[in-house]
Amino acid sequence: MARQTHIVPKTNVPVIVRMAAPEFERLRALVFRRYPDFEWASFARFGWRDTPEGLVLTLAALDEPGVGDLDEDVGHVAIQEPYTLRIALASETHPLAVAVIHSHPQGCRPRPSTIDDDMDSYYGRYFHDFAPDRPYISLIFSEIDGEFVVSGRVLWRGEWLHVVRFSIERTPTEAWVGGDRPQRNDLDLPRERTARLNAAFGEEAAARLRRSTVAVIGAGGTGSAAIEVLVRAGVGRIVIVDPDHVDESNLERIHGSRPEDAKKKIAKALLAREHALSIDPNCKVVACLGSLPQKEVVDAVVGCDMALGCTDQQHSRVALSDLATRYLVPSLDCGVLLEGRDGKITAQVLQIIRFLAADPCALCRGLVTPQRLAQELMSPEERDARRAAAKCASEQDANAYWRDMPQLNTVGYLTTTAGALSAGYAIGWLSGRFDPPFGRLQLNLTGTLLDVTDSEELPRPDCSCRRVRGWSDQAAADALITAPGHWSAAKILT
Amino acid sequence: MSTERIERELAILRIGSQVAQLVSADGRQVVLYRAVPTAGAALGLPETTDVIVPVPPGYPASLIDLAGLPVGSPFLARVKGGQNNQGVLHIDGRPWQLASYHPHNGGGGPPWDQNRHGFHTYLDHLIAWLDKLT
Repeated sequence: MARQTHIVPKTNVPVIVRMAAPEFERLRALVFRRYPDFEWASFARFGWRDTPEGLVLTLAALDEPGVGDLDEDVGHVAIQEPYTLRIALASETHPLAVAVIHSHPQGCRPRPSTIDDDMDSYYGRYFHDFAPDRPYISLIFSEIDGEFVVSGRVLWRGEWLHVVRFSIERTPTEAWVGGDRPQRNDLDLPRERTARLNAAFGEEAAARLRRSTVAVIGAGGTGSAAIEVLVRAGVGRIVIVDPDHVDESNLERIHGSRPEDAKKKIAKALLAREHALSIDPNCKVVACLGSLPQKEVVDAVVGCDMALGCTDQQHSRVALSDLATRYLVPSLDCGVLLEGRDGKITAQVLQIIRFLAADPCALCRGLVTPQRLAQELMSPEERDARRAAAKCASEQDANAYWRDMPQLNTVGYLTTTAGALSAGYAIGWLSGRFDPPFGRLQLNLTGTLLDVTDSEELPRPDCSCRRVRGWSDQAAADALITAPGHWSAAKILT
Repeated sequence: MSTERIERELAILRIGSQVAQLVSADGRQVVLYRAVPTAGAALGLPETTDVIVPVPPGYPASLIDLAGLPVGSPFLARVKGGQNNQGVLHIDGRPWQLASYHPHNGGGGPPWDQNRHGFHTYLDHLIAWLDKLT
């Protein structure tokens, strides 16, 4: 008689599973292939990142079953040995973790059965022999009352762990931990406060927002406006990232800032946290003094449901794009531009760029000027030294290679509009009520009918973003950007 | 710094028998290319020289530029930008002077494209640089 193993996963290391929409839709269609009565399954590959807050797993690719790989004659999943062996041998040729995803019949909870326990115990050991030191992942999909439900567990460093959260692009999803229906706690927010939003979006949307975590990269004019809108809408957790301190010139733009904050040179992330907590004391706010892609910042952001880029700097835009591609964190990046001539303002441009995992990256979209990016990433000392050397060289060589990049002008009403607009799209996304209907939105407040344009750029076939979607840390060699060594160490203040 | 990426690029160079290594000193990371061929023979100069190239901050987002030769190298007076001192680094037990060489920034090469360029392709620029001696 086969040995039966009862698996009792723990929750001491939170596990988050992320999926991009194209892979998730394909996977769901595949494992629900014999719905509503019978099960089906597929192997898959996941990237992962081990953070101080837990383990984040990202769906990278499916290893779909071929003809005969699963037994069609039985209602439950019966994976044939050649399929398993093929996946195990393949795992020796790539760095990703192996996962098995199967369905339970419609109406059945995604609770692992004793057969599932046997399968996972066996596979956990089996795949470890081929590809040691990687997580083994087992997910169960089901559909109850028309709603997609999912549970999961992971064997990681000899321990079975529950998946406590699923972050699936464009599909708001709650984890059925251990296969049990999620507990619906009362909102810790007075209902009257978000009554209008609830009336427009529905109670479920309010609950989704409360369960959501948003990273806001940059707490200046744009970021502070976005944070204010998100907190007032009832978003439950916000991670605020900014390395800078408030100075006098920021007071025209930063929401919640006062002259004494500039005098004290308070960190922008701390000011934003203080302001957010004054609006909603129950909102969980994490302040990060740092920048993407510093390790501590990526650790703090990689588990968020989405990120808003509010720095209007190219290095941040590239890092957000990388975060979307490799770690499957959907992002919106916003920026503003103000131009003038002969005493008149000629352009007031707002731009919002969508970075989903399958979208072209910042490089494919031509959003990067190499010279500007290089100057942003240099230390002030190196910038000064290069400027001086270039001045000296230009006396002999007219082909000057150094050109100071101009500071972009901006004003409070523009940054507030950009931040609030981005936060609005974030609310639509998180609540599942609407998606940003653009790839790259630009509008000009000074233009006739706002000169609205949308650009759906195509990816470059040779770009690394086409190869490493969901590869997480396992594609570190394909990172689009790394943190310069001269940046101050990042600090996380919870 | 993307150590993984740079190691991958140096491995490509090794396949072509070019020795190059990632070293750090003075708080900076540089790639040290060994025995890069030169056009020095016709001028009575060495046929090869070691060259250093700093890893730019944020690499690969930032473009690679500059090239350094040992202080006192006879090539410094003859290569493009060699007279424009961009700083001195102490690497591998000796001082190196960085020359103003910017192939990906208006210096004759293609614009920087991190999907195509890296320390493995920069070797071509170094060879061209050391081939055009004045």
